[in-house]
Amino acid sequence: MRGGAATCGTSAHDGGMRRQWTGRPMVLGVRGGTGARRLPDTLAGVSKPVVRAQDLLVGYGGAPVCAPVAFTLAPGRALALVGPNGSGKSTVLRAVIGLLEPAGGVVEVFGAAVDERDVAFRARVASVLDDDAYFPALTVSEHLYLTARGHGVHGAQDVVDGLLDEFGLTEHARSLPVALSSGQRRRLLLAAALVRPRSLLVLDEPEQRLDHTMRDRLAQRLLDEKRAGGSVLLATHDPDLLRTVADRAVLVAEDRSRVLSAVEAAQQIAGGTA
Amino acid sequence: MSRDGGPGRADPRGTDRSGTAGPDAPDVDAAGADAAGSDVEGAAAESTAPDDGPGPADGPDPGDEPVVRPFEVGEVPPARAIRRYTAQAGSTRVGAGLGALLGDLYYAVISVAIGVLIALGVAQSLRVALPPAPPGALEGPSLAAIVVAILVGLAGALVSLAGRLGPIGAGGAEATWWLGLPVDRRGLLRPASRRLPALGALAGAVLVGLLDAGLLGASGERVVRVVLAAALVAAALVLLAGLGQAAGAPRRRLALLGDLVLVAAPVLAIVLTVAGWQVAALPAPSWPLVLVLAVVVVALAAALDRRLGAIPARTLRESGSVASQAVGAVVSLDSRELGRALTDAAMPSARRRTARLRTARGAASALVTADLVVLRRSARHLVQLVVSALVPALACAVPQLDSPVGVLLALVGGGYVAMSATGEGARRAEMAPVLDRLLPLDARRVRRLRMVVPAAAMVLWSLVAFGALGWWASDVPGFLVLGVVSAPVWAGAAVRASYRPAPDWGGPLVSTPAGALPSGVLAVLRRGPDVVVLGLLPVWICVLLRTVSPTLLVVQLACTLLAVLVCSSIRTGSFMDRALAAQEETGTKAGAR
Repeated sequence: MRGGAATCGTSAHDGGMRRQWTGRPMVLGVRGGTGARRLPDTLAGVSKPVVRAQDLLVGYGGAPVCAPVAFTLAPGRALALVGPNGSGKSTVLRAVIGLLEPAGGVVEVFGAAVDERDVAFRARVASVLDDDAYFPALTVSEHLYLTARGHGVHGAQDVVDGLLDEFGLTEHARSLPVALSSGQRRRLLLAAALVRPRSLLVLDEPEQRLDHTMRDRLAQRLLDEKRAGGSVLLATHDPDLLRTVADRAVLVAEDRSRVLSAVEAAQQIAGGTA
Repeated sequence: MSRDGGPGRADPRGTDRSGTAGPDAPDVDAAGADAAGSDVEGAAAESTAPDDGPGPADGPDPGDEPVVRPFEVGEVPPARAIRRYTAQAGSTRVGAGLGALLGDLYYAVISVAIGVLIALGVAQSLRVALPPAPPGALEGPSLAAIVVAILVGLAGALVSLAGRLGPIGAGGAEATWWLGLPVDRRGLLRPASRRLPALGALAGAVLVGLLDAGLLGASGERVVRVVLAAALVAAALVLLAGLGQAAGAPRRRLALLGDLVLVAAPVLAIVLTVAGWQVAALPAPSWPLVLVLAVVVVALAAALDRRLGAIPARTLRESGSVASQAVGAVVSLDSRELGRALTDAAMPSARRRTARLRTARGAASALVTADLVVLRRSARHLVQLVVSALVPALACAVPQLDSPVGVLLALVGGGYVAMSATGEGARRAEMAPVLDRLLPLDARRVRRLRMVVPAAAMVLWSLVAFGALGWWASDVPGFLVLGVVSAPVWAGAAVRASYRPAPDWGGPLVSTPAGALPSGVLAVLRRGPDVVVLGLLPVWICVLLRTVSPTLLVVQLACTLLAVLVCSSIRTGSFMDRALAAQEETGTKAGAR
């Protein structure tokens, strides 16, 4: 590995904190390093649903936050979780990606119990939750590059450049996170989920902090995701995004969870009941 | 299929995306029930029917078997390369080069060395000041026996701290950007897994070294062996906590285990005293024993390293978050935030039973009841209260410590720890003042009400601590009355410390033996302890004189009333600050005229 960022470029400063890096970008090497390896593909040909939740009960400290939910999600489809604030949508998503132990029921991803410690699971499942943490010294481009290279993407810099353009971050490619607005940081997180290979995309209210143009672009991107056979599981409060992307929705509620059509769910959101 | 993972601009869609089924994937949809709008309970049907609900028209075509397509990914880099990539950016761009690193190291070593030398000097002075052990059979436990109890307590505190901090975690950016990578997680976590054992070893070496060289007066090679053994034992304890974490033990359980050991320490000392167990001197570990300990530590480290990959991300995230909060609190000298971080780390996220709050019959009683519930539910603070109550009692029982100065130091130290434990309700209220504002109570009254639970707790504490003092001074009733009368001072100080403003880092620097300190920070940190020092002056005099006179009792009563008044104040500035502000205001008015 070599570090190509030995020069210190002229930079804008904000109270002593550099906001942009104008030196050479750093390179993350693979070859020559011990431990570089190719990921096994143990899931090819699996015909089970990408996600299957059966009577899934989620909560904290044994106390459920919502009624049990049940759904399946197949390749090339999108499912939305809807419900009012605090209804448990994010908690369900956390259980699906293994960040929360279910309080009851079953949740399977690719036909197996969720175990994010499994490398193959991490390779296939991309998620954007409410995280808002960044390495202060890595530029926007390098955050994406790190993610892409960490997932074994070849030609990573080209893929990163394409996504920077798509998410309107090209001008900020060399910016450090401190220089980004809230919406730009959100775009960075979304781009990071898309810069890497995936079979399942889990998004928690991806529309948050995005302007209308970017929401439309995101919706288009998620449609592309489905067309290419990827599955999308998202929690959302945006009726337009839901109508455009989701095939079905699950209304997560305290008393009883229900499956709705996308249109019905969008109407409920617009009517303020979800 | 491309290995490029996510599609770039040139390839926004299509089969070369590293995905699953291609565009001809079947129309298998998410369906918790067999029809839209139906109840999902117990009806998770895996529908293979075409999309019968309104949905986007451009989904995959129905018909094919829904299979996950092959997933081809290029070589992933080793975890070490990921770590180095991130670290290199940091060191290159935030001026953390070799020079800066050596500079930081220099300052850290010098600071630690100065701190250790000061503490060593104090301990040796204490040792010199302590009366020699009386010849023949001792009436109480020896100093060595007390040191044994202290060692047990330190071990408990270390385990408790390790449990609350993880001990292995990945917070912030590491959790977001590293833990999702399909690389060997062990390699990512290796530095984190070594950090806390190393810190534990350092703390163990310093503290036990101080006890051995200072209090017990040991010197030479013995101290080296003791220090090494202590460092290794401390590291082993943290590593064991790490193995517990890897095995799935909840942090709360590890913290509770440590707390129980901590409580056991003074209890052990009392049991030993009652049983008449005497230790003339503590044996020093031999070199072979030190070697065996080193081998054990290496074996534990290797075992933990093998299990790092078994620690779930949720645990790593939680631990990393707590550690970040604790480190931030330490760096900013914010003991309240540190307490919150460590307390919350071991709190259950839900309670089995809901407190009925029967005693809440109005705004005032609701506030007091809430404080009581907060204290009752915090095991750490209850442990603190119990342990700290036994400290003066032990000082009174040890022949070499039962001088007025020794007992006074034990009383001050134990009282301060106990006082800090009782202020949790006020600290929580300071952090989220909105609840106080919802109550129809003025701020001064809120402060006074916040003293009720601390005062009650400190009365109970005083019954033990001052009861022991009374036994030591052969005046149990007098000291008990003194303890009860002085309890509100501790309570007031606890509330005053809880409501202190955030440290002001903008003030001028004050030179201290440990380096420069901002005076604004010191001004804030002294709020609370100042009341203890001044408001309990009659108590200190009584202890030093070993007697309670009616005059001093009356003076203490007056001091208590004054302390309660001072601690009820909602002004945050010091008297000098207020005087200066008044002077400026007067000057401004005069100028205007």
